[in-house]
Amino acid sequence: MRTNDGLIAATLGALAVVAGAAAITRKSAFGSAVGRRHQPTVIAARRLNRASGLIAASTLLDSGIEHYRGAFHNRAMIAPLVVSALTLAVSAHGTRDARPVAHRLRDSVYAGAALTGLIGTGFHLYNIGKRPGRFSWKNYSWQNLFYASPILAPSAVALAGLLGYYSERLRESRSTGAPRVFGLPAGRALAALTAAGLVATAGEAGLLHFRGAYHDPFMYVPVTVPPIAAALLAETAASRPRKPRRLARWWLRLTTLIGFVGAGFHIFGVHREMGGWRNWRQNVLNGPPIPAPSSFSGLALAGLAALGLIEEHPHA
Amino acid sequence: MTVESNQLHDALHVPRGKDGRAPDPLRVGGWMPMREYREDEAVDFVIVGTGAGGGTLACKLAEAGFSVIGMDAGAWWRPLEEFASDETHQDKLFWTDERICDGDNPLKLGSNNSGKSVGGSTVHFAMVSLRFRPEWFKCRTLLGYGADWPLDWREMWRYYGEVEQALKIAGPVTYPWGPKRPRYPYRAHEINAAGWVLAQACEAMGIAWTETPLATISAPRGRAHPCVYRGFCVTGCATNAKQSALVTWIPRAVTAGAEIRDLAMVGRIEVNDAGLATGVHYQREGQWRFQRARNVVVAGYAIETPRLLLNSATDRYPDGLANSSGLVGRNLMAQTNQGVYGVFDDEIRWYKGPPSLTLTEHWNYTDTGKDFFGGYAFMAQGPLPQAWVSTQAGNRGLWGEALLREMQQYNHQAGFKIVGETLPQERNRVTLADEKDQYGLPVARVTYSLCDNDKALVKHSIDFMSRGLDAIGARDIWAEEDDTCHLNGTARMGDDPATSVVNADCRSWDIRNLWICDGSVFPTVGGVNPSLTIQAIACRTGDRIRQLAALGEL
Repeated sequence: MRTNDGLIAATLGALAVVAGAAAITRKSAFGSAVGRRHQPTVIAARRLNRASGLIAASTLLDSGIEHYRGAFHNRAMIAPLVVSALTLAVSAHGTRDARPVAHRLRDSVYAGAALTGLIGTGFHLYNIGKRPGRFSWKNYSWQNLFYASPILAPSAVALAGLLGYYSERLRESRSTGAPRVFGLPAGRALAALTAAGLVATAGEAGLLHFRGAYHDPFMYVPVTVPPIAAALLAETAASRPRKPRRLARWWLRLTTLIGFVGAGFHIFGVHREMGGWRNWRQNVLNGPPIPAPSSFSGLALAGLAALGLIEEHPHA
Repeated sequence: MTVESNQLHDALHVPRGKDGRAPDPLRVGGWMPMREYREDEAVDFVIVGTGAGGGTLACKLAEAGFSVIGMDAGAWWRPLEEFASDETHQDKLFWTDERICDGDNPLKLGSNNSGKSVGGSTVHFAMVSLRFRPEWFKCRTLLGYGADWPLDWREMWRYYGEVEQALKIAGPVTYPWGPKRPRYPYRAHEINAAGWVLAQACEAMGIAWTETPLATISAPRGRAHPCVYRGFCVTGCATNAKQSALVTWIPRAVTAGAEIRDLAMVGRIEVNDAGLATGVHYQREGQWRFQRARNVVVAGYAIETPRLLLNSATDRYPDGLANSSGLVGRNLMAQTNQGVYGVFDDEIRWYKGPPSLTLTEHWNYTDTGKDFFGGYAFMAQGPLPQAWVSTQAGNRGLWGEALLREMQQYNHQAGFKIVGETLPQERNRVTLADEKDQYGLPVARVTYSLCDNDKALVKHSIDFMSRGLDAIGARDIWAEEDDTCHLNGTARMGDDPATSVVNADCRSWDIRNLWICDGSVFPTVGGVNPSLTIQAIACRTGDRIRQLAALGEL
């Protein structure tokens, strides 16, 4: 049992290091690419790779911890770990890749992640369906919302895949005017998708912070800041902007920041469980999920990529 | 080993609330400063007992600016370091002093119905925190039995809310019975398998159920950690997730300037020639001492409260203090606590988490289909192994091979127990025996008999719960037919000095500076655990005393 624990912890640690390294290399590669003004779609695509990678890193750690807590009692519970690790890897690759063409492996990994998220949602619904009360709207459905498999969690994998898949489409969009993806103006469609992702993630945070009775006033931050970011993005998607979206940009930067600060709060939250960090083996599992808030950062980065596209091409 | 166990018993021998400091139960080895009063200086209030009634009132009065001393016969524990995961060891929380029990249904005293520590029995209570059904406050008028309370349910609703906030009760998002109540401060805990058994049985019987509002936190609160589902709740919570008086009201009281004296057994209330209380005689560190006070509050629970009042008799009050109605010690009501159990194929492991995570109050709020007055709630159960073996060997009478076989099924068993209303009867009473205890005080004689209505309620509940277990496929269903829990009555409140001991403010009719503030004042008990109501009454009494003082009517 101890060896097993150690093995899992070591794996998670190694993956975290990989994620960190990937983030650093992404940043350096990105810095050298900024100047290429003739390829705004590639710049946006690489920003999306970065966003997708960050969400994948968050999902990898979160599903790793939560599914370890669930003792991987169903073999399929390993799937989000494998898929988000792969998504993280291809995203790292994508951020270094300045070519204006889609990459077959990245493409299939991203598509696979989107599909895995969808199937995962099905598994989570199945888990709730097995419990007393199921989907009833009676009182005890709260038990299932609070303590059964979280319905919205797998969609984070789906979002990572979707954003990545979108980045590949963006890369290969050949139009000389405003870039379009799936026949839609690329910037606006991406802004709308990101807004939806932010709302869903804020919904999940809202539910679980309600479960924690908002015992700390800072628990209101993720249910106020990201929804405003989503509203600003939605407004951007719906209007035809002529001027820079300064407020939206700063608000998305703030949202990126609160994702990381939130992880800090969750680290503090683990300390408030019985035994604190001395008892980390239990409390990392039972306390607030440390990797979860960084999904907000990933989504906000995607929102910034959308803003970049729109500012470059007002009709995108 | 002996050194360790001595340390775990230290608090039983050496008073800790002394020399200007008090134990801080939320820190290992912690102390906090405590104000001290001189014995020859009359404090505004001396409160005898520091449990749900006395601890709460001490906090309210100290925060209102009165000088307050709380006395408790028990020890002042630091749960983090002194509560063991050992059922036998934790007997140290119980009041096991000598008592004599008789009547047709002699009570078994000394565990779930007793408590001897700072914080009283809230230190080991099951944390079930329920409001009374509003009609019960006028049950004589509205439901035709018992006696009306002098309190209005709407006012009590506000005080329930105050207590629920003070204890951060973790309860369901919506409560299925009774008038609208505010949202519980914390969310309900995750239901364990034993709790789901109750839920399924209720669904099968077509009645509502809910998560039990519990006084154990489901999220962090200050220095207290959320519940870790250790399961040793009724033997004393070692993590401080349980919001007992010991970790809530008492530290607040001390911070507000109250002095709490632990290991201080009050033996007699002194009354002067004018018929007013002047203080209390108490024993501490082997010596009888006297503390002067302008007001005395008795909060010793349904046995020790009448015992102290009766033992304080003088020439002027030969039948005991506050007893002109002759009702001190009478109308003792022990709630019935029958259980029904069965065996399941699935593993239940009912020792996990708080024992009663789900309950139904259906038979508290339904008046049809009953052949008795009153109501009962029933709740999921989670007896620890030793409690369970004593149920099997004691109440069920199994021994040897049969007991062994039964205990091997421990992890597959589940069941329910009621908290059943019993009617007030004057013959059920507490009196003084000739025998003396270790302090040289006459011990209490507790006489108890169930009436036909009580028996009809029990029969109804056993029948209903058995059918519920049967409906969800339990095997080997059996009923534990002889058990009781909370004690109330013995100094009832009312509107008429001839038929009650205290008024709605818990002030005795006979002696205007003598108050009683605990479960003794209940005219009826209802079918719910009394702790929340005792605390709500104490909060109201605290507010009323502040108002009376402002009016110069103290």
